[in-house]
Amino acid sequence: MKGAELVIKLLEQKGVEHIFGYPGGAIMPIYDALYQSKVKHYLCRHEQGGAFSAIGYARSSGKVGVCMATSGPGATNLITSLADALLDSVPLVAITGQVSQAVMGTDAFQEVDVLGLSLAVTKHSFMVTDVTELEHTLNEAFELAMSGRPGPVLVDIPKDIQLAEVQFKPRLVEDAASAQQEFLPTAALEQARLLIQNAKRPIAYIGGGVHMADAVAQLQDFLAQSPMPSVTTLKAMGTVPPSNAYYLGMLGMHGTQAANHAVQQCDLLICLGARFDDRVTGKLAAFAPDAKVIHIDIDPAELHKLRRAECAMLGDLRELLPAMSVPTHCEDWLKHCLAMKQQHGWRYDHPGERIFAPLMLKQLSERMPDNAVVCCDVGQHQMWVAQHMSFSHPRNHLSSGGLGTMGFGLPAAIGAQLARPKDTVVTVSGDGSFMMNVQELGTIKRFRLPVKIVIVDNQRLGMVKQWQELFFNERYSETDLSDNPDFVSLAAAFAIPGHSISRKDEVLPALEAMFTWPGPYLLHVRIDETDNVWPLVPPGSANQDMLTEKAQ
Amino acid sequence: MNHVLTIQTKNQPVVLERLLQVTRYRGFEVAGMEMKPMADFSGLLVTLSIVSDKPISLLTNQLNKLYDIEYLDCVESELTQAEAGSMRA
Repeated sequence: MKGAELVIKLLEQKGVEHIFGYPGGAIMPIYDALYQSKVKHYLCRHEQGGAFSAIGYARSSGKVGVCMATSGPGATNLITSLADALLDSVPLVAITGQVSQAVMGTDAFQEVDVLGLSLAVTKHSFMVTDVTELEHTLNEAFELAMSGRPGPVLVDIPKDIQLAEVQFKPRLVEDAASAQQEFLPTAALEQARLLIQNAKRPIAYIGGGVHMADAVAQLQDFLAQSPMPSVTTLKAMGTVPPSNAYYLGMLGMHGTQAANHAVQQCDLLICLGARFDDRVTGKLAAFAPDAKVIHIDIDPAELHKLRRAECAMLGDLRELLPAMSVPTHCEDWLKHCLAMKQQHGWRYDHPGERIFAPLMLKQLSERMPDNAVVCCDVGQHQMWVAQHMSFSHPRNHLSSGGLGTMGFGLPAAIGAQLARPKDTVVTVSGDGSFMMNVQELGTIKRFRLPVKIVIVDNQRLGMVKQWQELFFNERYSETDLSDNPDFVSLAAAFAIPGHSISRKDEVLPALEAMFTWPGPYLLHVRIDETDNVWPLVPPGSANQDMLTEKAQ
Repeated sequence: MNHVLTIQTKNQPVVLERLLQVTRYRGFEVAGMEMKPMADFSGLLVTLSIVSDKPISLLTNQLNKLYDIEYLDCVESELTQAEAGSMRA
């Protein structure tokens, strides 16, 4: 068979059912091999959208996402999505066509140094220069994408390799029992148990690494056996069920007041699969200043990177969490945290008739079917979603965390809907973000995907405008989007029905109409441009120094 | 602090770019570099002289994650601050 056919055969052998992409000259042999294949290809309307769909597919299912693009502009259009996957540790395999090796390096048509471009945005990247290496390289790519700390892997395949003859020798199914037994770090675990037992004010700081290690159940057992308050990062929302009384919500720049105050006051910070990101810590030197730190991660480079840990453990959270469980002695601290949670609870009694986005999102959260997936974009609405919506599992909340990529939400929802066809998928977007990958409405139309689209429209680039208001003397440079298109008409052009609302009393009926409609639906929600996200830790400040709405 | 990293890599054309990209991005300065193929041409031996005030583990932990790196050893170097300074100039 040809190299191109081997690519598709191998995807079939690996059980890949859905891939996302866009064809072009240098990848035509692979698209030809794809024709009538068992692998279902979803044609997106831009390679960035295709790769974000693959990310949404991966994040909502726990499987590897696969995307394809041609050489040159096809490959460069993938770069942002690859960076997004790298920063959020998403297992992704990107296959790119490349010009034939005979013309490589001559500035051939649609030639660009994809391998060079990939260095900063992938976990690893390959270029196949010999067709006999193709099968091994693809197998390595899938294994690398999923192993350790997951991430994106790119395989660049020149056209002559796609057309070369090769023999396909399917790999035998590996024996799962041959996996190496890992030894637990006994001394470090003993130290961790002592630290937890002796702590008066312990707190669990939970990151995306917990669910990526498939350790959500172990985490919940740990919190049950070692009762302590917990806070999560944006990526980990849903790891601790909202019913856990001592769960304080998201920490960091737009975290809850209870979460931030508790972390600042704790004497033991147990960091589980998180990385002390600057949006979490605020002023790093003042973050949890009185705390000893236990840090567990699968990536050795994260340990001691930004905060020295008294007890650092490298390994699998599924193994380490049960071994670390020990009774805590912090009843007063638990009461104190509960009191803070009650004292700083959200208020939804916003005056007037106009729609208050936090209340609308709370109502959306309450009306959503069980196990619905919410895909966010980036900006004010993203933080409101994190603050005011509840999630039963982190795979139900997809948000571009590390890279903060506007345009993520709509294509990610497409991937999530295909990965979980029985679950409702909602994308919550802002009027700025939505327009960044609006072309993917075409993909929704083509495949009749019942994605629900909620646009929170303040006719501004709201988060940038908020910072201009607070930190740039109200100089609103290039954040006015008051000439937005009519979003409902725009959706109608793609045969997607929609409705626009601007009053509080319209919210519940509109949500009902959206969720009872059997197909895709766009709900356009007009909000006031003056609404801001609170609380907010100003840049360079410690997390206890949050600005709140009352203080403004 | 100055360090010398001795690195054995797979024989991949892009491996030197990877080493240098990670070193630059993580905020370390290359003061010297040598590369030669291994005797059986199965890989490359690379020696990097690194200048930085940051703990070298912040770099070696990142380099060790690279798929193409097979072995990495790190020792404090005898490069003087003056030499390092002249390289910066």
